[in-house]
Amino acid sequence: MHRIITLLAVALILASCSGSSVDISEVPELPTTTAEDINALLADSDEPVVVNVWASWCVPCRSEAPLLARAAEQDGVAFIGINVRDDQGGARGFIAEFLSDAPIDHYFDSPGDIPVALGATRGVPITLFYAPGGELVRIHSGVIDERTLALQIDEIKAR
Amino acid sequence: MEFTLLGAAFVAVIPIHFVLSWEAKRTNAAMCARNLWDISLGAVVAGVFVGRLAAMLGDGVNPLTHPGDILIIRGGVATGPATIAAIATAAWFGRGVLWPVLDGLAASALAGLAGWHAGCLVRGTCLGTPSGLPWAVSQEGSAVGRHPVEIYAAVLLIAAAVVLVWSRMKWTLPPGAPTGIALAVAAGVRLITEPLRPSLGGGPVWWYVAGFAAGIATAIWAWRRAGTQPASDTS
Repeated sequence: MHRIITLLAVALILASCSGSSVDISEVPELPTTTAEDINALLADSDEPVVVNVWASWCVPCRSEAPLLARAAEQDGVAFIGINVRDDQGGARGFIAEFLSDAPIDHYFDSPGDIPVALGATRGVPITLFYAPGGELVRIHSGVIDERTLALQIDEIKAR
Repeated sequence: MEFTLLGAAFVAVIPIHFVLSWEAKRTNAAMCARNLWDISLGAVVAGVFVGRLAAMLGDGVNPLTHPGDILIIRGGVATGPATIAAIATAAWFGRGVLWPVLDGLAASALAGLAGWHAGCLVRGTCLGTPSGLPWAVSQEGSAVGRHPVEIYAAVLLIAAAVVLVWSRMKWTLPPGAPTGIALAVAAGVRLITEPLRPSLGGGPVWWYVAGFAAGIATAIWAWRRAGTQPASDTS
């Protein structure tokens, strides 16, 4: 049993030495935006869009970030990230650590008003699913799992 | 923990307790149901913990620098490592009476898995790939009919659990055979229902293939071993 615990500890320490993150200096500042701009962006989109509301201080956001990064690699669906109630340093650090390679367009919303204007709440994380043309199909509050994310992407692709 | 997930966990542990109690009255269990209940809960907790750690490492998230993430179960639990950890924990608690313990847990584990899948009714996650079958169901506001894939899995698993308990009541199965059968059924059900689940690039199918093969191998080994030993050793 002691050997198993030792092996587990060694594995975790080795894991802590690795990491796919990039340096924060390589991540540009996030552009500030408004709910009107996001709505216009969604209305102009020919593709279904997934909007994820996140913050660097939000532990569940960190937990779902690798899944969103993987989902964003899919063809036929666009991803937008809205960073709320945060600062640029925290947001850029989060992207550098978890989302550096993901094709997600991130925006900065310091007051956190955009999700409310889109019909969601002030909590994080929140994931909103839009059909092409900007029709809101579903709002998922809280951590999203792979099954739910895949199902809702399937639904907005079918519209 | 998210409340719907907690609800699904309750739906899962109730059949475990029910089957253990039911089976203890009808089969010659080596340990009383209370001990098996304690062991099963310990195995579940260990399985979820190790499965969550494995999922975090697989996603490139370091558990040492982000220990709070371990608690976000919905962020993902790796099925294969979780299963191995659960079985290893049960085996550890049951050392000395390994096969009676694992065999005693086999049917209840299948029932617990059935409950976990049926917990999709609480979580709202029963839907699978699109289907035109008469019993296809749609999510609210959608015209797309879908397989109720988790209900398929729950029905198959609970049927297997009932058959396993009935078999243990009717025949004396060799030690290890119920464990092998249960492992093969659990992995097999996931394997055949996996194509009906929406996913981002496929589920951990090779883990299910490995589990199915390991279960079949264990059952065959148990029967062959029983066939080469005196009858009194197989009780």
